[in-house]
Amino acid sequence: MGPWLWLAALAVLLALPAVLSGYVVTIFILIFFYGFLGQAWNIVGGYTGQLSVGHAAFVGIGGYTAAMLSIEAGLTPWIGMFIGGALAAVLGAIIAYLGFRFGLRGFYFVLLTVAFAEVCRILASNIDAIGGALGLYITFTGNPRQFQFQDQRAYYYVALALMMAATGVVAVIERRRFGIYLTAIREDEAACEALGVNTFKYKMLAMLVSSFLTGIGGTFYAYYLFSLQPSTVFGIPLSVEIIIRPIVGGAGTLLGPILGSFILTPLGELSRSYFGQGGMYGVHLIAYGVLLIAVVLFLPHGAYPYLTRLFGGRPRA
Amino acid sequence: MTTHRLTRRKLLTTAAGAAVLGFPLPLRAQPKTFKVGAIHPVTGPLAEPGQACRLGAQMAAEAINAAGGIKSKGGIKLELLVGDTQTKPENGRVEAERVVQQGAQMLLGSFDSGSTNAMVSVAQQRRVPFLVDIAAADPITANVAKAVREGQQKVQYVYRNFPTGSSFGRKAVQYFTEIFREAGVSPKRVVPITRPASAQLLLPEIRKQKVEILGVVSPGSPGLYEAGQIAALKEDLEYVMASVPWPNFKNPKTKTLAEEYQKRSGGKTFDTNSGYSYDAMFVIADILERAARLDDPDTIVDAMRKTNYTAGLMQYGGPILFNEIGDNPNAIPTMIQILGQKPVAVWPKEAALQKFVFPRPKA
Repeated sequence: MGPWLWLAALAVLLALPAVLSGYVVTIFILIFFYGFLGQAWNIVGGYTGQLSVGHAAFVGIGGYTAAMLSIEAGLTPWIGMFIGGALAAVLGAIIAYLGFRFGLRGFYFVLLTVAFAEVCRILASNIDAIGGALGLYITFTGNPRQFQFQDQRAYYYVALALMMAATGVVAVIERRRFGIYLTAIREDEAACEALGVNTFKYKMLAMLVSSFLTGIGGTFYAYYLFSLQPSTVFGIPLSVEIIIRPIVGGAGTLLGPILGSFILTPLGELSRSYFGQGGMYGVHLIAYGVLLIAVVLFLPHGAYPYLTRLFGGRPRA
Repeated sequence: MTTHRLTRRKLLTTAAGAAVLGFPLPLRAQPKTFKVGAIHPVTGPLAEPGQACRLGAQMAAEAINAAGGIKSKGGIKLELLVGDTQTKPENGRVEAERVVQQGAQMLLGSFDSGSTNAMVSVAQQRRVPFLVDIAAADPITANVAKAVREGQQKVQYVYRNFPTGSSFGRKAVQYFTEIFREAGVSPKRVVPITRPASAQLLLPEIRKQKVEILGVVSPGSPGLYEAGQIAALKEDLEYVMASVPWPNFKNPKTKTLAEEYQKRSGGKTFDTNSGYSYDAMFVIADILERAARLDDPDTIVDAMRKTNYTAGLMQYGGPILFNEIGDNPNAIPTMIQILGQKPVAVWPKEAALQKFVFPRPKA
C-alpha cells in the first residue's frame, strides 16, 4: 500500500466518530484495543515465534498498578500507565529469562507463561489491599486527568493512538536488523545461533517490548471498564482473546493483528446481537465458533497474507 | 380501449414499492413503548442465573403490560431490549451502548459486578437511569455517590435493589447470633464453607467421620441450597442453613408466580435471581408512573429517589426505597434451611414459614 492509501485510511478513521453512533464507536474502541494488544503480542508471538499464552498477566499488572497508584497516591493514570508498563516488563523479563535461559521451547514455554499468569491471578485474588477476589472498582468521574472521558469519542482516539503507536513500534522493528533476527529465530533458531546471532538477547528484548506495551494496555482496560477482577484480567480467556486476533489476521505480519481485530470483534458482536435476542441461548457462540474454524481452515496463515496474494502483492515478512 | 397488462417487471416493482411503503405503516400504527435495556449473562459461566434474571424481567414486563402498561402515561407499554454480557465486563459496556442506541431509556442488570460497573459508566456518560437488579459489590453505587458528592458528576443515575456485599456479611452474623440465642446454644467455632464443589466434599465427610457438630450454617455462598445440589447431596444437606436473598412465600402472589415461573422455565424454582429481576421491573413501572415526564432522564431519577414501593415479592425488611448512596437498605437476605429436602425460610421470625431445627438432631 502506498503512503497515500495509508493517510487516507487514517483520515477516515479520524473522521469516523463524527458520523458513527455511540454503539459503533464502542465496537471500534474494542477493535483498536484488541488490535493494540494483538500487535504487542505479535512481537514475541508472531515475529519471534515464542508462543506466550499468559499475556493477560501483563494487562493485569499494568491495570492494577495504574489504578492503585491513582487511588492510593493520587497519581494520574497518564503517568501510572508507564509505571504499569514497566512493572509488566519486569515480569516479562523474569518469564523470558526463565524460559529462554533454560531453553524452554514449544509447549514448555506455553506452560511457563500460563503458569505465571495463573500465579498472578491467585496472588491478586488473595491480596485484600488490592480488592482480593472481588476486585478493584474505579469511580467514574469523567475527568480526563484521571484517564476518563465523559464523551465516548475520546476513548476512541486514545485507543486508536495506542494501536497506531504499537503498529509504529512493530514497523520500526520490522525494518531493522532486530526484526530480521526475530524472524530468523522463529524460522530456525539453531541456524540463527550458528550464524552468530545472540538469540537469547533478542528473544529477551522482544519479550520486554511486548510486555511493556501490553502493560500499558492494562491502564486502558481499567479506565474503560472501571473494574479489575483477578479472574478476568489475569485469566486465560483474556490471553486467548489477545492471541486469536493476530493468528486469524496473520501472525508475524505488520497488519495481521489489526486485520484480525477488524474481522473478529465485529463478528462476535454481529453474531451476538443477531442470534442472542431469542430464546436460543448460545447460538451466537456456535456461529462465532464455526466462522472461526472456517477462517483457520481456509486461511491457515491468516487473512492478511491471503489478501496481499489476492491483490498481487507480496506478503511481508 | 386500453388494456393494462400486468407484466412480470411491473408486478415486481409494484410489490417492491408496496413493501417499501407498506412496511412502516403497521409500525406507525402501534403505540409508542418505553424501552428498558435488560442485560444479563445469559451465556457463559453464569448462564443459568442470567437466564433466570432475563425470564423474570420478561414475565414482569408482560404482567405490567397486560395490566394496562404505565397508566398515568396513557397506558404506554414496556418493551425489553435484552442483552448478553457473557460475564465479560467489556460486553456489559457494549451491550449497554447498543440498547441505548436502540432507544432504551432505562437500564436493568446485570448480575456480575464487573459487567455491572462497566454499565455504570455508560449510564453516567449517557444519562440513562440504571436500576441494578442483582450485583453485590458495594462500590457500584458507592463510587457514583462519591463522585456526585465531590462534584465530579452532576447526577447519580445508578440505584440498586439488592443486598450489598457488606450487608450480606452483617446480616448473616446478626441471624446466626439471633438463632443461637433463640436455640440456647453458644457454638465455640463457626466454620464457613464456600463453593458447591467444597460442599460436595465436606458434607459427606462430616457424616462418614461422625463429626459432632451443632449444624452447618453458611453466610450465603452458593452451593448449599440449589436444586441440583440437593439432588446430589440429598440427606447430607438436610438441616443446612444459608443466609440468602429469598422470595417471600408468605405472599400468595409469590406462590402463584412461582408456579407460573416453573411452567415457563421448564421446571426451575422461582428464586433470588428471577425474583429480584421481576421486582426490579415492577419498581421501574412504579417509577415511571410517578415520573413527571418520561423524556427527561433527570425527572425519572427524581421519581427514582422518591421510591417507596411495598409490593415486592422478595423478602424485604421494609418498603423498597433508595438511601443517599442509592442502595435499598431494606433489601436483606433471609435465613433458609433445607427441611424435608426443600429450602424453607426460617429466620427472621416475620419471614419464617417453619421453625428452624438447630442444633440438628443427632444421627
